Amino acid sequence: MAETAAHLEEWTGEDVSLAEVEAALFALRRESCEETEGPDLRTSVMTHIAWVPPGWHEAAWTTLEGMAERHPSRAVLLVPGGTDNDDELAARVQVAAFALPGERRHVAAEIVELRLGSKRARSPASIVMPLLISGLPVFCRWRGRPPFGERELEELTGLADRLVVDSREWDDPAADYPRLAELFERVAVSDIAWRRTLPWRVGLAHDWPEIGSCEELTVTGPAADANLLAGWLRSRLDRDVSLALATAEEVESVAADGRELQKPPVEPLSSSELLSAELETFGRDGVYEAAVSACRRERP
Amino acid sequence: MATTQENPLLEGLPLAQTPEPCALVVFGASGDLTRRKIFPALYALALRRLLPESFAVLGAARSEWTDDEFRHQMEAAVREFGRDEFRDDVWERLAGVTSYRSLDFADDQAEDELIAYLEHVDGERGTEGNRVYYLAVPPAAMPTLVEELGRRRTTEGWTRLIVEKPFGFDQASARELNQSIWNHFTEEEVFRIDHYLGKETVQNMAALRFANGIFEPIWNRQFIDHVQITVAESIGIEGRAGYYEQAGAIRDIFQNHMLQLVALTAMEPPSDFTADSVRNEKVKVLKSIHTPGPKHVVRGQYGRGFVEGIEVPAYREEASVDPNSMAETYIAAKLFVDNWRWADTPFYVRTGKRLPRRETTIAIQFKRAPHPPFAEAAAEELRPNVLIVHVQPDEGVSLAVGAKVPGVGMKLRTVHMDFVYGGAFQVEMPEAYERLLLDAMRGDATLFTRADEVDEQWAIVDAIVAAWKRDRPAFPNYAAGTWGPPSADELLRRDGRSWRHH
Repeated sequence: MAETAAHLEEWTGEDVSLAEVEAALFALRRESCEETEGPDLRTSVMTHIAWVPPGWHEAAWTTLEGMAERHPSRAVLLVPGGTDNDDELAARVQVAAFALPGERRHVAAEIVELRLGSKRARSPASIVMPLLISGLPVFCRWRGRPPFGERELEELTGLADRLVVDSREWDDPAADYPRLAELFERVAVSDIAWRRTLPWRVGLAHDWPEIGSCEELTVTGPAADANLLAGWLRSRLDRDVSLALATAEEVESVAADGRELQKPPVEPLSSSELLSAELETFGRDGVYEAAVSACRRERP
Repeated sequence: MATTQENPLLEGLPLAQTPEPCALVVFGASGDLTRRKIFPALYALALRRLLPESFAVLGAARSEWTDDEFRHQMEAAVREFGRDEFRDDVWERLAGVTSYRSLDFADDQAEDELIAYLEHVDGERGTEGNRVYYLAVPPAAMPTLVEELGRRRTTEGWTRLIVEKPFGFDQASARELNQSIWNHFTEEEVFRIDHYLGKETVQNMAALRFANGIFEPIWNRQFIDHVQITVAESIGIEGRAGYYEQAGAIRDIFQNHMLQLVALTAMEPPSDFTADSVRNEKVKVLKSIHTPGPKHVVRGQYGRGFVEGIEVPAYREEASVDPNSMAETYIAAKLFVDNWRWADTPFYVRTGKRLPRRETTIAIQFKRAPHPPFAEAAAEELRPNVLIVHVQPDEGVSLAVGAKVPGVGMKLRTVHMDFVYGGAFQVEMPEAYERLLLDAMRGDATLFTRADEVDEQWAIVDAIVAAWKRDRPAFPNYAAGTWGPPSADELLRRDGRSWRHH
């Protein structure tokens, strides 16, 4: 964050209360104003919650680094099990100001990282609610596989307007899609893996009308992307389409009934750009929901 | 391309944004506009993959250039004026579909060859006979070019005509030009550019007014004291003496940008955001603007002065300007929109060159609170609420509100709440020409001016110019680097008001 920010104010505390976190935010904003020619602008467009289990910590911060100036918001990173003491709440609060192109003024983004002791992590909504910016949408980015049916997921999806996942981060996405589909009636869901398939979906759409009778989709790529593409074809074409998958880290090739698609001439987006695109989407995506609902585990 | 109804896979995909295959022909391609705006805009569209898959650009002008020379010139222009980082692969893609033809627009044989070449391009690039003709040529060349193109139009594919300003010199010449266009093209095929309408912040005026329930109920004579619209430039005429001597500020800015900003500010909510609905409402405003009398219009011309600490010459000392020129470089006017919503609410508008800074703003000044229950001294620094739409620079909106100064007692001051575009959304704002080129290729005329709008705009200008013929002001009457002639201040002082200067 410090590399791109015009200036950065930071406060950390162990075993803190939320009142102390809010006071720190207020103080940092004031400090930040004193360093520039005028007050930093705080034009928040949302509260962005991220559930970040310890293994995802570095990736979450990297994504935020590329995103703050595009979505000036309050980002609240919840790190479950981030302290040794079960009852403890530890915090790291940052106000980062970014220069606006062609202007003297800066725009401020706030990041609050809360490390939750294991007891505190059981009821995350009560921790986050005091920090939500009123009147603005709440996006919840869930790192890794969401614990379907567990209290923390239920609570956070209950207060978020949109849940953002990346099913590439799951071990067996085809098995979990039905669980994800159960959430659709309660919260709008975005999947970054779905966003990555967009250039391939455009390519497949261009294959109309031949694609209309497709019986088999062959994908060399991640299981999530492949399953979503197959589910999308099944739901849009209203026919059974089998999936032949060869696993790879990125989608390398897609073929419909043996006709290989030309690789899309689009550069892969960074994790920040992908999340950024999802944060600009509001409301439910019926095409995505239908695709997820049509995903299934292929017989070996 | 198949429609959504035919192809179920298209639902939800961002394909509809891409225009149909077409060839874009830029007439006047050796001019400044092509270098500064059109090609940088095309490059930005190419970078974002918003141009059609089957696409071609043909530059046409009198300059004797080869294809390679033209591409070389345009590459330099994109590097200099483009808003994006230059990428060789994107440029190669655009350059690969770009060519150039040297021609005299009145030369029958050259025009025939051009049309034959476009047919060849259709075969080679799959542009399907669809044409966008961009007429970036001087007004005098316009009728001939329109006639030549009209005579050669075919029934294959669609044709769209983008016409750059100035559209005519007065109402009579604009009507004549419209008539020559309508001899061969329908009004739906004509896209008259006013690039201000392509600016995000100008479009945001519609969003601000019609997407927010809090503003529209107070957007009327009951709550608004007056409106101030400023289009200020710190630059001089930048070597455009030939054009500016004829046009002056009234034709350069007032007739088009300024009156469009008035129309957008004053118009009634359209029933939808389609081209005709929006333009129907704008033209009603333009028809309702009553002609300001001579006392309500001020013109000026700059003398020597200092801009940003640098001494600059007087207008009459600029290269190729008549030393006795009576061209105005400044105009201010008090306009009234005679309808139920705006009766008796003045719209003060001003535009000028060599003013202290570059600024385009629409300031809506609300009436004072009827009875603030504070001591007079406490509220002496309290000004009326003003909603300011910053069109450029610092694109955004700010609202001036009264607030208590912290501390003992009740002392009030005016503070600004700012919404800055770059702060809340993607940092980079698209250039107006990108949006307008794309819209023209897609056939969406919402952000272009219709013939009846242009006609009404000229009617207002003609009346002002006719009154000017009766007197000869002592020019220059304001120093470069100041906010215009003293009579412009007097225009508002008479009403107990003053211009915003910051």
